[in-house]
Amino acid sequence: MKTLILGLGNPILSDDGVGLRVAEELKGRLAQPEVTVEETSMAGLSLLDMLVGYDRAIIIDAIQTVGGQVGQVYLLTPEVFDATRHATSPHGVGFATAIELGSRLGLALPQQIVIFAIEVADVSTFSEECTPEVRRAIPVCVNMILQELDGSHNA
Amino acid sequence: MKKVTIDPITRLEGHGKIEIFLNDEGDVEDAYLQIPELRGFEKFCEGRPVEEMPRITTRICGVCPGAHHMASVKATDAVYHVDPPSVAKKLRELFYCAHMIHSHIAHFYALAAPDFVLGPTSDPAQRNILGVIAKVGLEVGGEVIKHRAYAQDIQATIGGKATHPVCGLPGGMSKALTEEERRDFEEKAKSLVEFGKFSLKLFDDLVLANKEYVNLIVGDIYTMKSYYMGLVDAQNKVNFYDGEIRVVDPDGKEIARFKPDDYLEYIAEHTEPWSYLKFPFLKKVGWKGLAEGKESGVYRVNSLARLNVADGMATPLAQEAYERMYQTLGGKPVHATLAFHWARLVELLYAAERLLELCQDDEITDPNVRIIPTATPDEGVGVVEAPRGTLFHHYQTDEKGLITKANMIVATAHNSAAMNMSIKKAAQGLIHKGKVVTEGLLNMVEMAFRAYDPCMACATHTLPGQMPLELVIYDSNGEVVERLTHHTHSEPLGIKVASVS
Repeated sequence: MKTLILGLGNPILSDDGVGLRVAEELKGRLAQPEVTVEETSMAGLSLLDMLVGYDRAIIIDAIQTVGGQVGQVYLLTPEVFDATRHATSPHGVGFATAIELGSRLGLALPQQIVIFAIEVADVSTFSEECTPEVRRAIPVCVNMILQELDGSHNA
Repeated sequence: MKKVTIDPITRLEGHGKIEIFLNDEGDVEDAYLQIPELRGFEKFCEGRPVEEMPRITTRICGVCPGAHHMASVKATDAVYHVDPPSVAKKLRELFYCAHMIHSHIAHFYALAAPDFVLGPTSDPAQRNILGVIAKVGLEVGGEVIKHRAYAQDIQATIGGKATHPVCGLPGGMSKALTEEERRDFEEKAKSLVEFGKFSLKLFDDLVLANKEYVNLIVGDIYTMKSYYMGLVDAQNKVNFYDGEIRVVDPDGKEIARFKPDDYLEYIAEHTEPWSYLKFPFLKKVGWKGLAEGKESGVYRVNSLARLNVADGMATPLAQEAYERMYQTLGGKPVHATLAFHWARLVELLYAAERLLELCQDDEITDPNVRIIPTATPDEGVGVVEAPRGTLFHHYQTDEKGLITKANMIVATAHNSAAMNMSIKKAAQGLIHKGKVVTEGLLNMVEMAFRAYDPCMACATHTLPGQMPLELVIYDSNGEVVERLTHHTHSEPLGIKVASVS
């Protein structure tokens, strides 16, 4: 199964870059030819182009939730953002909207998309470092993704 | 596996907020927009080699990396006192036209069109790019995606990287354009010109043909008299990449025309205790509060401002579109905030025409794309028109070229006073005697600042990939009477969670 692992974020905005750190970490640990690891700072519509042509996508990003515990890792499917995707946004197009647009236009989008989201603390200070709890979550998320990949091999 | 409840967003820090204060009669007394601030950029830059700045600043925001790259590389030219060869300037401009096209297409089709195609108070479940395509046809959606991808390909080829360009160096560019690439770009540029014409036609059919929308555009609640600022070339035509900064007053009369180096003589910044964002204003006019008119130093940037300060467009089809816009809206300058959308489409056509001209320029494949700087670095200012408005980068370095001081004024900051005023005006026009506020009304208040295409960088990556916005209305006792937000999801979601213990 042709798989894209895509880390999202801003590498110089503290915890915002955690998705990129996880992807970097995975790059060194994966040798399967059918798995591609990429990192990007783009969002919304621009993600569509990157997803085309893969059977499966694993996306890694930062998230902030009400009462969330910093460093928690969530495994999400795109459907969980149904509740937000209908909202118009003052800037940009949400992820779920972009995916739905792509599928309506008949783009060859992955059949399976999962999102690993890490609860973060600071996304507004310029720094190349994540905060400590988020840094500790990086290996946890890496292992979850490796298990996810293994699971699919066995299936 | 355990179930948790996710309510994406609501922390003050991660989102924009509009606060509306009512008086005893239930009318709008004040309205404020708050945008979260990114902290510590200057400190982050200190001590870094100045030639790294064009690569670092593209990371400030995932929305306009191309604009930061260009303003930054122009500032490094100035720091090193080097004038790039003509072909390098043309290649940068070619790249930059593609950047403008990419950004303007997204703004119009994904953000502006839903309000007009579906209607300002239509069901929010329909009022998005999916609703637009359902109404105008799937093939239009295909054209939008295709032409955005063309603009992206051109940026990626010249920029050297898919998303964050690395092509600009002090004194020029890192590589030349090949003949094969040029031919490919030329074909894409021709198609983009057609798409630019098509988009203006669509605006005609969907917006201008509807009297209600035209009334909304020229109506009082979305009108604001202010100064305008933008880059112009030697003939006072709109230019995105280079030129001098021109300022016109609310009557359209030029009151300043200056070189990037002199910006601090013309622009000062006011601070308010309730806002992270500073409020730039025209020094010579002075800060008179959040006020309209000639006496107030508040000015605006972005598409309509660029057209208002210029004497016209440098390409023929865009010039026609420019004339038509001013004829329709009653002459220059236009103060209608919603006309920023129309001006953006005039610019889309200009950017495509200019792109094509540059692709057909004899010099464009010249391999001598860089002059190696030899002077001792010290200080420099670089300016471009970002899609959202005038963007200044200003660096000071020691003699080794390490940054000692960095300053930027971004487009959204120039417009911060104006956005607050536009929101207040819209709220005053829409909320009377404590009338119940609906989702549709919230959207009509939002339209007042969506026209400025504000960039709130920090929220563009964090899931769910949308800038959350909260609107809070207070009565005259300071009690909350309404709280509206687009993100109100709090149902349990079946997801797997791992904690770091």
